[in-house]
Parts: sequence; structure tokens; C-alpha cells
Amino acid sequence: MGPSGDHAVSRAIEGDAVRRILDAAGAVFIKDVTTELRSRYAVAATATFALAALAVVSFAVGPFGGRPELLAAFLWTVILFAAAAGLAQAFTREAERRTWLTLRLVAPPTSILLGKWGVNLAVLTAIEALVVPMFLVLFGVEFRSLPAFLAILLLANVGLSAALTLVAALLAQARAHGALVSALAFPLVVPVLMAAIVGTRRAFTEPGVWPPECRVLAAYAGVVVGIGFLLAEHVLDD
Amino acid sequence: MRVIAEGLGVRLSGRVIFENVAFEWNGPGIYTVTGNNGAGKTTLLKVVAALLHPGRGTMRWENSTTAALTPAQARAHLGFAGPEIGLWEDLTALENFAFGARARGLDWSAADGAAWLERLGLTGRGDERLAGFSSGMKQRVKIAFAMLGRPGLVILDEPGSNLDDRGRAVVDALVREAAEHSLVVVATNDPVEAAWGRPGITL
Repeated sequence: MGPSGDHAVSRAIEGDAVRRILDAAGAVFIKDVTTELRSRYAVAATATFALAALAVVSFAVGPFGGRPELLAAFLWTVILFAAAAGLAQAFTREAERRTWLTLRLVAPPTSILLGKWGVNLAVLTAIEALVVPMFLVLFGVEFRSLPAFLAILLLANVGLSAALTLVAALLAQARAHGALVSALAFPLVVPVLMAAIVGTRRAFTEPGVWPPECRVLAAYAGVVVGIGFLLAEHVLDD
Repeated sequence: MRVIAEGLGVRLSGRVIFENVAFEWNGPGIYTVTGNNGAGKTTLLKVVAALLHPGRGTMRWENSTTAALTPAQARAHLGFAGPEIGLWEDLTALENFAFGARARGLDWSAADGAAWLERLGLTGRGDERLAGFSSGMKQRVKIAFAMLGRPGLVILDEPGSNLDDRGRAVVDALVREAAEHSLVVVATNDPVEAAWGRPGITL
């Protein structure tokens, strides 16, 4: 497909639609991961907030020994605000660097949304890989059920990253993008936040393997991802 | 590719950019869009590229296999290079090309990348990030990016900007070759570029 190719675009468009969407989403994912690894923009914004919040509170207040509900709420508050600080940048950077129109020209809307969501999920997971061990050490947390905690973390990540990505896409070209994403996304993520906090408290205190909140988080993630797929064309078309 | 506009009008922030614009452009070949600064050339190109809905009138895109294309289908069949169409400066030229090709579902290989770099006079610079390129080198890469996969419609907004004589020769050759198989629309105030093809419209 060098300079002497022959109308390869037309042939590619006629291929299998689902495969084309997934291939393009993969291309968006790889492009964003490559640029993120070089600029560390989202990871730096997210990790800085999360680690600073953890350090400040642990030095100021000390361990919340015996208060698992406070520990759970604090952990998810840090994760939520760190995610809001970093994940909204996925679309802002495209607009700031004048690549947003280019992206819309080369990739289908569903692929853009899927690729950006994948990157945000990866960034959030990477941040938690830093934050959670630090949280456990600083606050002396002990688990009754590690599998339950990991399940809550995974399912909440999927829902949280999907909701923030969808709202960020809606506001991709809006002024004051970052502030708007935070303001509009918070009411949407209240269900996932509440379920994650309660589920995490159970993982700290109850030896059961699967807290009922896992079902809530799975349903939330399914609904948000489904809405994203259904609305991608409309969300990104204007 | 065939592009037909009837009664197009765009108003932005309460100001009329243009109104009652009509044309019919049939590819392959080159059509030029001319007009003073601020006349709305870039805005018109965005409408032609299905990146901006006109407030008034209709835009139609047709290719040889489909009677009419939706705006989303039209975007998939066109390439656009201009000041508002940036590339990813944290990526190399080759990585930009590979991304553009893969996002569009095109086959892509290292040989394709090497062929493009040679054509652009950038052999040996493929592993450098775009951020380190001069504005003229970036302009050449942008124009090549718009032509990946030989789209049916190629839109170029001020293609000669930032180019030296060597860069102009490269772009001139690329545009003439593209015009053999695609509809090429060029917005320009440069008399040399304006002479590339038929007058499309003057705003």
C-alpha cells in the first residue's frame, strides 16, 4: 500500500464491518499507548494526584484502624478523583493538538470510543497497581477476602473507565472540557462508587468470596459499555 | 468520487461564513477553491469532508460503486490535509502512516513506509518523531497521510504552505498523480496551485 497502491481505501471499507471496527480500535489503542508511554501525560496527572492524596492523608490522620468503611471510602475517593484527572485527557489532547479531526477521518466512531476506553482502562489499572499496594501499607489494611477485593477492583475499573470515557467523548470539543467531564461524570459514577465502597468494606471484613456488589458492578459496566456502543456514532459524529 | 453541493450556507458564532454555494465536482481531476483570507475556504472544505454540517443546503457524495454515501461513509473515502488536520507529533512519520493505514483497514508493511519516505525525500528520517521535523517536512508527511490508500476524494488546504522549492516539487508530483485516479480539491491563494486544475469555486 505504498504510493503506487490502487484505491485500497475502497477495498478495505467493503471488508467485514465488525473486524474493521476491532482492527481500528486496536490501532487507536496502540497509538494512544505509544504516545502515553512517551509523554506519560495521563499517568503523571493521575498518579501524582493519587499518591499525593494518599501520602498527605496518611501523614495527617494516620491509620484508620478498625474503620474499614472509612478506609474503603477513602480508597475509592482517591481512585475516582485520580481517574477524573487523567482519563478525561484522552479526548482533550486530540483537540489541543489538532488531531481530533484527523482521528475522526481515519477511524470509525465506535473504534475511537473502544480504543480510548481500552487505554483508559489500562491507565486506571496501572495507577491502581501503584496506589493499592501503597494504600495497604500506609493504612495497615488486612483482607478477609483478597479475591473479592480484586473482583471489585476489576469490575469497578471497567464501569468507571467506560463511564468517564463516554462522558469525555460527549464533551470532546467543549471548552473547559476537564471541569465539565468531572461535573457531568460524577452523578453517573455514583452507583459504581457506592457499590465499590460497600464491596471493598466487605472484602476487608467478611470472609465471603463474592460480595453481592459484584453483580451491581457487572451490571453497571454492561449497561455503560452497551450504551457506548449504541451511541458512539451519535456521540462522535458532530 | 463525485461531490455535489446545493444552496450551502454556514453560519458560525452568528456570522455568515458563506451562503448559497453550489457546485458539482466530478473526479478524477483537480478543482480549486479560491478566495480571500477569511472568505470561508477552510470551512467549506470541512463541509466537503463531512466534518461540519452546513446550516443550510445539502452535500452529496457519490462514488462509482455506491449511489450515495452517508457523511460517515464519505469520511472513510477521503483524505484531508490542512492546518487544522494535525498528525501525532509524539509518533514518528512511519508510526503515523502505520496508524492511519491500520485505522482504515489498509494493508501496511515496512516496505510501504520506506516507499513513502523515499517519495517524500525523507529517507532515513522515518524513526524520528514528527515533533523534531521542520514545518515543511511535517507538511509533506501530512499530504502523504491524506493520500494513503488512494482515497476517492483528496482535500488539500493550502498544500504549499511552509514548503521550500524541493517540497513544492514533491507535493506537485503527488497531487498530479493523485488527480489521475481521485477527485482532488485544493484550496489556495497561490497562483501556481490555482492553475493546477479547474476552478471549483471562488468564495
